[in-house]
Amino acid sequence: MIGQLGVGIGWRPEISGFVKELPGLRFTEVVAESVHEGHPPADLLALRDRGVRIVPHGVKLSLGGAEPVAPERVEHLARCAELLDAPLVSEHVAFVRAGGVEAGHLLPVPRTRAALDVLTANIRATQAGLPVPLAVEPIAALFDWPDAEYEEGDFLTELVERTGAFLLLDIANVYANARNRGEDPAALLDRLPLERVAYCHIAGGDEQGGRYHDTHTAPVPPEVLALAKELCARRRPPGLLLERDGRYPPAAELRAELDAIAVAAGLEPVT
Amino acid sequence: MSLDPALAAAQEALVRAMTAGGEVPPGFDGDAVRAAARGILRKRAGEVARAWPMLAASYGPAWADTFAGWAAERPTNGSMRDAWDFARAHRESLPRAALIELALTEARHAYDGESAPRPRRAAVRRVPGGVAVQLRGRTRVMARRS
Repeated sequence: MIGQLGVGIGWRPEISGFVKELPGLRFTEVVAESVHEGHPPADLLALRDRGVRIVPHGVKLSLGGAEPVAPERVEHLARCAELLDAPLVSEHVAFVRAGGVEAGHLLPVPRTRAALDVLTANIRATQAGLPVPLAVEPIAALFDWPDAEYEEGDFLTELVERTGAFLLLDIANVYANARNRGEDPAALLDRLPLERVAYCHIAGGDEQGGRYHDTHTAPVPPEVLALAKELCARRRPPGLLLERDGRYPPAAELRAELDAIAVAAGLEPVT
Repeated sequence: MSLDPALAAAQEALVRAMTAGGEVPPGFDGDAVRAAARGILRKRAGEVARAWPMLAASYGPAWADTFAGWAAERPTNGSMRDAWDFARAHRESLPRAALIELALTEARHAYDGESAPRPRRAAVRRVPGGVAVQLRGRTRVMARRS
């Protein structure tokens, strides 16, 4: 239903020219909160008109927050989807604010029945307001809540079963969490409903103070590419999208990264 | 309105610990939570640097640490207000390029420090050696004749 997306890269204003020039690109993503409904970026509309599939990616909906999702945020996602002719919309299995205080980033939810109930209610409310399917992305987290009632794979599987949402699986997050917990990243792949994966994220990070941070400001490490290859050997997702959010390298390096992702996934190069 | 008051309270305690100097709630790995909070501060510093490049450049390689020290117990209201609040708090020590960046922003938007900035139709702001002028969205810096 979502169709084949291939290798993509997240659209950002700083690399707009680079993304526009990729001859084989069929798929990109834009941070939904950065899109002004009255003045969407012209380069993005040009990609849309060229037939490139654009996924609005929300970062501030707070699906895992104990407060109901804000209707105006859902409406903005819906309008982005219509404006960009999007095949789907994505958000996170996370919360970003509580008690009126903004965290400034995606924070993990406890792996409990109570958190599942809240996520389910918020995802259903979001789905009801969207003209296209929703995919939800498990995040990278440096810490876990105490008193978990589920393993991560079981938690996500139940969430997907309850809501009918697709998964946006971030391979770099799987790697980061496993590395920081001292676990095997491939073990999580075995416990996830891979047939529900709409597309994957892939990115680089760096180590600070003995912990791997998924910063999107560094090249994709070989271990993450190897995990992408392992995932694709189990079941290749419809698309893999490179996220880069700063310290942008020269175009040749970004092209080489996209080519390496294509090789690891067994997909056509887009460069 | 809350879907789950107990979860809401637990989430608020965690967010306050990470952004507003609150204590890390019991049961969490405090070192890991603080490492995550530092990561968020670095990310906020990077976002401010992209939005206000002259402000960040004023501090050279010390930018991320300087911003993180100031922001550690100030929860974000978005990168624009992070930048604006920081610039106003450090106005006395900013070099000319950063002061012009601040003046141009203040000419474009009105900001009371409490609520979201609002666009201005027109404004004039002093900058070192001249004035920043904004009329219907167009801004320019004019040097003072001497």
